[in-house]
Amino acid sequence: MNIQQTRNGNELVVALEGRLDTVTAPELEAALKDALEGVEELILDFEKLDYISSAGLRVLLVAQKTMSQQGSMKIRNVNEIIREVFDVTGFSDFLTIE
Amino acid sequence: MKQKRRPGIAFTIICAILLSQAAFAVMVQAIGAILFTNSFKKEYATSTYYMANTAAALINGDHLDGYAAGEAAEEYELTRQRLDVYCRKMHVSLLYVICVDTSDYGRFVSIFNSVDNTVDNTSYTEWELGFRRDTTNDEYRKKYRAMYEKTAPYETVYRTTRLNGHNPHITTMVPVSDSAGNTVGILCIQRPMRELRDAYRPYLVSVAVWAMVSCAVTGALAAFYIRRQFLRPIQKTADEAIRFARENTKGEPLGKISRLREIDDLAGAIDTMESDMLTYIENLTSVTAEKERIGAELSLASTIQENSIPNIFPPFPDRTEFDIYASMTPAKEVGGDFYNFFLIDDDHLAMVIGDVSGKGVPAALFMMVTNILLSDRTHMGGTPGEILTYVNRNLCEHNKADMFVTLWLGILEISTGKVVFANAGHEDAAVCSKDGAFALYKTRHGFVAGGMQGIKFRDFELQLQPGDKLFLYTDGVPEATDGENRMFGMDRTLDALNANREKTPQEILEGVHGSVDAFVGEAPQFDDLTMLCLHYIGADKKNDVHELTVDATPENLGAVTEFIDGVLQEAGCPMKTQMQIDLAVEEIFVNIAHYAYEQETGKATVLITLGQDPRAAHITFLDSGKPYDPLGKKDPDITASAEERKIGGLGVFLVKKTMDNVQYVYRDGRNILSFQKNL
Repeated sequence: MNIQQTRNGNELVVALEGRLDTVTAPELEAALKDALEGVEELILDFEKLDYISSAGLRVLLVAQKTMSQQGSMKIRNVNEIIREVFDVTGFSDFLTIE
Repeated sequence: MKQKRRPGIAFTIICAILLSQAAFAVMVQAIGAILFTNSFKKEYATSTYYMANTAAALINGDHLDGYAAGEAAEEYELTRQRLDVYCRKMHVSLLYVICVDTSDYGRFVSIFNSVDNTVDNTSYTEWELGFRRDTTNDEYRKKYRAMYEKTAPYETVYRTTRLNGHNPHITTMVPVSDSAGNTVGILCIQRPMRELRDAYRPYLVSVAVWAMVSCAVTGALAAFYIRRQFLRPIQKTADEAIRFARENTKGEPLGKISRLREIDDLAGAIDTMESDMLTYIENLTSVTAEKERIGAELSLASTIQENSIPNIFPPFPDRTEFDIYASMTPAKEVGGDFYNFFLIDDDHLAMVIGDVSGKGVPAALFMMVTNILLSDRTHMGGTPGEILTYVNRNLCEHNKADMFVTLWLGILEISTGKVVFANAGHEDAAVCSKDGAFALYKTRHGFVAGGMQGIKFRDFELQLQPGDKLFLYTDGVPEATDGENRMFGMDRTLDALNANREKTPQEILEGVHGSVDAFVGEAPQFDDLTMLCLHYIGADKKNDVHELTVDATPENLGAVTEFIDGVLQEAGCPMKTQMQIDLAVEEIFVNIAHYAYEQETGKATVLITLGQDPRAAHITFLDSGKPYDPLGKKDPDITASAEERKIGGLGVFLVKKTMDNVQYVYRDGRNILSFQKNL
């Protein structure tokens, strides 16, 4: 999985590419842990993300909890498959998906 | 709140006795008073009559008229003095002689008049000779007339009560006669009835006192008697009855507690009731215990019976040429219906369905014997006809209870789909060709097994094409009866089958069962309900089983996904479906990698098969780790907010939601989790 971060003041855009699964989820978790310092607006760009599993959902939940305290989090360009996973698990109820 | 104590028997009876005694005493007193007064009056009347007669003898009647005119003054004076003396000596308060005017007895003339006011403390004044007076009192006039007309020897006037300040007294009048015997005057004597007055009150008081004493004595005696004869035994009986009602334990028998028949009967009845009741309780306890024991045994028997036939599905998760499902719903705890299926060898699947005559424990035992005979014999080889012939012979030899069983036994040659079967009096199987509908496959039935020695059973053949389905059932299905005694029937059975014919065997049986339940409604289940359904997929797909065994570590997820994707891509699986399957595979594999072997590393095997009808991927995971059913876990709350969300449980939940027919069994030391996804 490829993680690309673009910092713009208090805004952080993280673009993901590939599969967010059991193997890759820890990488994203580690990356976000360092990068979220001082971020008020986190934008996750899923345009090139093909796949997400429950391990990925876990990282999103942690990120959402962090951002709820220091700002806001948005997810962008979610494909149909990932959208369905969000719907089935009820994540679409609390994630901000554009 | 304490209940007000109601009066007891003793109080009530004693009160009644005392009241009746008091009434009796009052009556005795009243009667006594009347008799007493009358007897005194009689005594006074007699004695005063004699006194008056004596006084009258002192008077010379021949001169009586003359005295008033002043004749014989000397004789008059002498008589008067004698009468005065008499008056004083005889304690007479008043003595007088009068001449009454006999025309209407309304007037009289006083001749003699002696008064002794000291006798009765009176204040009469003497009448002068010749004193005239009118008599207005009718009573006196009547009595005067009686004296003159001599209709009575004497007359008496009583004053028993105090009148005008005078004490009770008696006035007796006797006639004064002349020598010719004619009445010329009347002599009256008035005497006080002192004895009457003096004795009356003491008499009444003594009667009252004695009545009270008698009341008290009889009351006390009654109380004593009632206590001894009634109350103690009744109280004892009541206490015993209350104690028994509370404790339900054996107590001292009451025995002979009274000489009175009714109380003795009551006590005897209580004794008998207690001992009967205790015997009854004891019986009931042992009957209940026995019932519980039988219930426990039945429940155990039910479990044994259930486990004597395959009841874990899918039974052959690694066999993809066929799918088989069966269900049995006994009407009682244990039933006489049964099904069975097992692999005789790699290429032969035996399927049996049977229905023993009768229900309950005898049928269940017979069923077990039949099933064991049949499966043992089947494993030895031979055609279904030969097997049934053998089973029938063996059942008949030992069948003392005249039971029998209908049997359908078929052996499927998995590689070809050929079913050879024999039928011992059982219902015809229903077959559904791939593109058709379920229809009965009718053949000649043999006689029931266990009914008659020496029967030979014929073999029949039936060719299944890939995608065909075979449905076996017992008469409990078509003969299920609703509240109005209508039977479900074969037509409804076939309708229910056809309504579900595209589905998996399990769904078909559930569908039929649902239709039967809906038809029967509230009516009690009368017969066992047993069904078996085989979906023949075909042996030529056997090559589509792909298997991969890896170490169960998260690092191998990539290898597993790659393996699955390879198979799916070859089958032309759409990308979206592939992603969904990948997700399910990841979740299950990671679960095994994380939890199955704890600290150690074990193997995980994944099987994937592509079914052609319908086009579906069947995926099975096997591991030898600790038994763990991930499907048994509660689903996560997907309505919770981000803050309330728990991490975990989402993976299995996702599998359940996105895959079909997700199943878990633990068998032969392996966790087997399987699911499928239509392509």
